[in-house]
Amino acid sequence: MERFRRGNIRLRQPHSALSRRFRKTAMTKTHAPERHESTDDSLLSRLRIPHRVQVAGFAFVMIAPALLLFVLLTIYPVGRGLWISFHRWDGVSDPTWVGGANYKFVVNDEVFWNALKNTVLFAIVVTVVKNLLGLLFALLLNSKIRGQTFFRTAGFMPVTFSFVVIGVLWSWIYNPTFGLLNAVLESLGLSAWIHGWLSDPRLALWSVMCVDIWKWTGLHIVIFLAGLQGINKEYQEAATVDGASRWQGLTRVTLPLLSHVTAVSVFLSILGAFVSSYDVVYVMTEGGPFHSTEVVMTWIVTTAFRFSKVGKANAMSMILFVVAGVLGFLQYRIMSVRED
Amino acid sequence: MIKYRSADALARLAVYLGLVVMTIVALFPVLWMIFDSLKSNAEFYANIWSYPRNPMWQNYALAWQRGQIGERLLNSVIVTTGTLAIALPAASMAAYAVTRLQFRGRRLLFYFFMLGMMIPNGVTAIPILSVIIDLGLVNTRLSLILVLAAQALAFDIFIMHAFFISLPSELEEAALIDGCTPLTAFWRVILPLASPGLATIAILTGLDTWNEFLLTSILVRSADLETLPLGLVNFVGRATQAYPQMFAYLAMITVPVMILYLIAQKRFISGLTAGAVKG
Repeated sequence: MERFRRGNIRLRQPHSALSRRFRKTAMTKTHAPERHESTDDSLLSRLRIPHRVQVAGFAFVMIAPALLLFVLLTIYPVGRGLWISFHRWDGVSDPTWVGGANYKFVVNDEVFWNALKNTVLFAIVVTVVKNLLGLLFALLLNSKIRGQTFFRTAGFMPVTFSFVVIGVLWSWIYNPTFGLLNAVLESLGLSAWIHGWLSDPRLALWSVMCVDIWKWTGLHIVIFLAGLQGINKEYQEAATVDGASRWQGLTRVTLPLLSHVTAVSVFLSILGAFVSSYDVVYVMTEGGPFHSTEVVMTWIVTTAFRFSKVGKANAMSMILFVVAGVLGFLQYRIMSVRED
Repeated sequence: MIKYRSADALARLAVYLGLVVMTIVALFPVLWMIFDSLKSNAEFYANIWSYPRNPMWQNYALAWQRGQIGERLLNSVIVTTGTLAIALPAASMAAYAVTRLQFRGRRLLFYFFMLGMMIPNGVTAIPILSVIIDLGLVNTRLSLILVLAAQALAFDIFIMHAFFISLPSELEEAALIDGCTPLTAFWRVILPLASPGLATIAILTGLDTWNEFLLTSILVRSADLETLPLGLVNFVGRATQAYPQMFAYLAMITVPVMILYLIAQKRFISGLTAGAVKG
């Protein structure tokens, strides 16, 4: 008895018991192959290559392009980067071996640690706000209102814009003289709140964070909405019947049922922040003023291209890779857990 | 009874209010961008947020010229199409083999590909540059296409895997009985059934590639190969006086995506949630 596993196909011969039904169909068709060993009349079967090998061969051909590309441009660069991180290199002349010197340098580099601190702060703040707002608006959208599609479409639209476009746009909103934000504040009589949003080292990072939040909240709204819509309404109805108030229904029933979706959403934003912070910071402030918005990625690129210290940049990349890799591994584990 | 109803109505009003605020916050900057792109320089500085009095459509023509948008657009289209042309077949074929064919090491290969999902794109940007240099492909569109396709693979395979696994396992058998080769079975039977998955990864990868900046800025060194995002950053550096034109440039990058999004928004959204929610 062949065992069927869901999603696993075994290319079988028509002789086994279970395919008797199919064999009958095959016999009655005029173009059915005459040989009973295999329904595949190809060269391979005529050469009497065992079936297993045929399948493996076919699978190999199917996987080869992706595998080649993947290994060459995603896996191999990690090893290459590691190798370079042990050298001093300006990208043009021959690299010189320096052992762990780059790493020692990086560990002692104040700007690097500041950038790392900024990156982590960025990731955490942005994640918390995006997910809270996302959940809030998803809950609003999920209630019985009209125009759900319209609001959802509107809320999600910023997600589709390039971060470069958004960065430039918001640089203008934040512009101290002509920008929208200060103009609004002034017209509302809140002139005291006017600041140099991007020029004040204490504010700059937070201003940039707001931009990231603006762009990506829509994604989390949509994720939470999908999660909410996947919840069986009976749970919530049962809670109401049992006398729970709205708030209790929310916190005791809905939220726990959303835990998988929440975990995915949270990790998505944490991991994304490590790299997407590059685009927005580069376009808006280039890490300034005075490195107050410097994130690890921008510092890596600056080190590599402006200072031509490719070895050191690779060392930093390796460190970032390890940190991101750990987070990514956790994200993958969480995303792969099937809902029970 | 009445008290219950009015409290309910108040709650609904609050909900609508919240959503309207969200919509305004999400869309107003975009609206402002379009309005301001149509103003003259003088009007731009004088009155930031009004409707342009005489829409200066020529700002768009000027921006097109100064920003060499025709060239940039072409580059973006080439890179995006190239990336899709490589990533889509490679990912669906690999996902098919790893999901529905039986061979030794199948599971291992699947986890291997999933490694790519744990590495956020861009962390390996600098090392990738070294590899591209080794390959002698520095400063070419091909290098961009290959790199971006490689980065799209992990997620695309993950999505296609989810779609393939939901198809009944008897399909290949039936196809083979009918005289298909394994390849034809894939091409004629399985793939058409998984076409929503293909549409999903096409949209996601396409959007990602169109908006991509980090790797583009690292791999592209000469001005005539710049894609739209890269061109924009350099344009902003140069166009210090003509802000309405800069906004016109922004609008030109954004509007095609917006239109596409409005047409296919269900696909966009379902694709992203598929990865996140269904797992």
